[in-house]
Amino acid sequence: MSLSPDLGVWVAVFLTLCIFSFLYRDNIFYQFAEHLFVGVSAGYLIAITWHNQIYPNLIIPLFQEGRIIYIIPLAFGLFYFARFIPKIAFLVRLPIAFLLGWGSGVIIPAIFQRDILQQTQGTLLVRDAFVKWDTGLWAIIILIGVICTLIYFFFSRERKGILKQASNLGIIFLMIGFGASFGYTVMSRISLLIGRMQFLLGDWLGIIR
Amino acid sequence: MNIFTFLAKIPRQIIFLAIAIAIAIPLIVPLGMPVNIMPKSENLFQAIDSLGPRSKPILISCDFDPQSMPELYPMLLAIMRHCFARDVKVILMALWPQGPGLVEMALDVVPREFNKMYGIDCAFLGYKFGVSAVLLGMGENIKGVFPNDYYGTRFDSLPILQDIKNYEDISLVVTLSTGDPGWRQWLLYAQSRYGVPLGTGVTAVSAAEVYPYVETGQVVGLLAGMKGASEYEVMVQRKGYSDEKRMAVQGMDSQSLGHLLIMVFIVLGNIGYFVIRRKK
Repeated sequence: MSLSPDLGVWVAVFLTLCIFSFLYRDNIFYQFAEHLFVGVSAGYLIAITWHNQIYPNLIIPLFQEGRIIYIIPLAFGLFYFARFIPKIAFLVRLPIAFLLGWGSGVIIPAIFQRDILQQTQGTLLVRDAFVKWDTGLWAIIILIGVICTLIYFFFSRERKGILKQASNLGIIFLMIGFGASFGYTVMSRISLLIGRMQFLLGDWLGIIR
Repeated sequence: MNIFTFLAKIPRQIIFLAIAIAIAIPLIVPLGMPVNIMPKSENLFQAIDSLGPRSKPILISCDFDPQSMPELYPMLLAIMRHCFARDVKVILMALWPQGPGLVEMALDVVPREFNKMYGIDCAFLGYKFGVSAVLLGMGENIKGVFPNDYYGTRFDSLPILQDIKNYEDISLVVTLSTGDPGWRQWLLYAQSRYGVPLGTGVTAVSAAEVYPYVETGQVVGLLAGMKGASEYEVMVQRKGYSDEKRMAVQGMDSQSLGHLLIMVFIVLGNIGYFVIRRKK
């Protein structure tokens, strides 16, 4: 065992233990670490946005290179603050309308391509899927799963007969999906704890290498 | 309070303590459990392994923060080691503001192990806000989005970037992603629109959502959580590319023991619940 001589490590250890103390109950150490994190995060975000975004992409082109066209994004950005002045508050609608229009135009076709066209193609039973028996079997299971799950969300007819059976099978597929997601969530949370343990036992106490 | 009432309502402090012990012990005394390689991880490894010194550079987007380090940072190190061992050039960037610090940590460590030079073998473009504009803009002109690298050097003055115009000059994009923005946006804007091959490493929480896209081939390979990171570390070591410390492999014994303990608690809690309900 060799304790770290690094002051930064000791600060990180103190803050880690402050956060862990919440596992027992809410307390002043946890609140201190929580508030410190919020403050540091906000400050860091402001600084990095200025240096990476506003300064190189707006200040330099507009004020140093004299590219007047950049006055338009500057104005649109400033319009967001018009909300604080009731007489010109309507101006905030301009950047919002621009973003909504541009965003919808960009995202809708892309989502159609990503989530509908290519996913539907992937669900179809094509010859390539049956090159090996196991991939063919999985392709059939996926197709049945997709159809039964869609039937479960089909509310326009009363569920009886084949519709009810397919819908019940759809529930099973959904539950398996939820179970897999939950299992992965547990795995993720345990990983976070492992990371902190590696830090405490390795970087701080020097017990593990 | 009888034993079944206790089992149904085990105090959370006991559960936390037990989990902490179960995770700490294998770190101190490794159990050496084997790491099995999943096909989806192997696909990503093969995609990078098929590249060489004459290939176009690979673009790694570090779309995560320190919170996800245990799962994603080992992936970043392992993938960078794999690339440098294959003499593949690496361009790094971040869609999360916390990403640059983590990339710098990796740049301090990995290039040195392989005698690689910043600017020639690797470059860091930095962080940019506004994911859709950034990813679409890169499809047209990467230099337009990142006129300078993270350290303020002009894009053109770095040898590695001189022949890079857009995604067509990138052999593979790998996004190490903890949420939004991340793999969804890369898939939406870069892969679907420009057809750039995309691989991803994600936190385990997101892994189930990526599977449908791996099945359709929209994503060439997937590393899922710490398990995926450990698989990649093992593959890199098996090929003799690197013998450096394997952080994710070190954590997998704890992962297994932690899962086992959680399963035991779930079973015990259910036994307590059903016995009490039957008595009522």
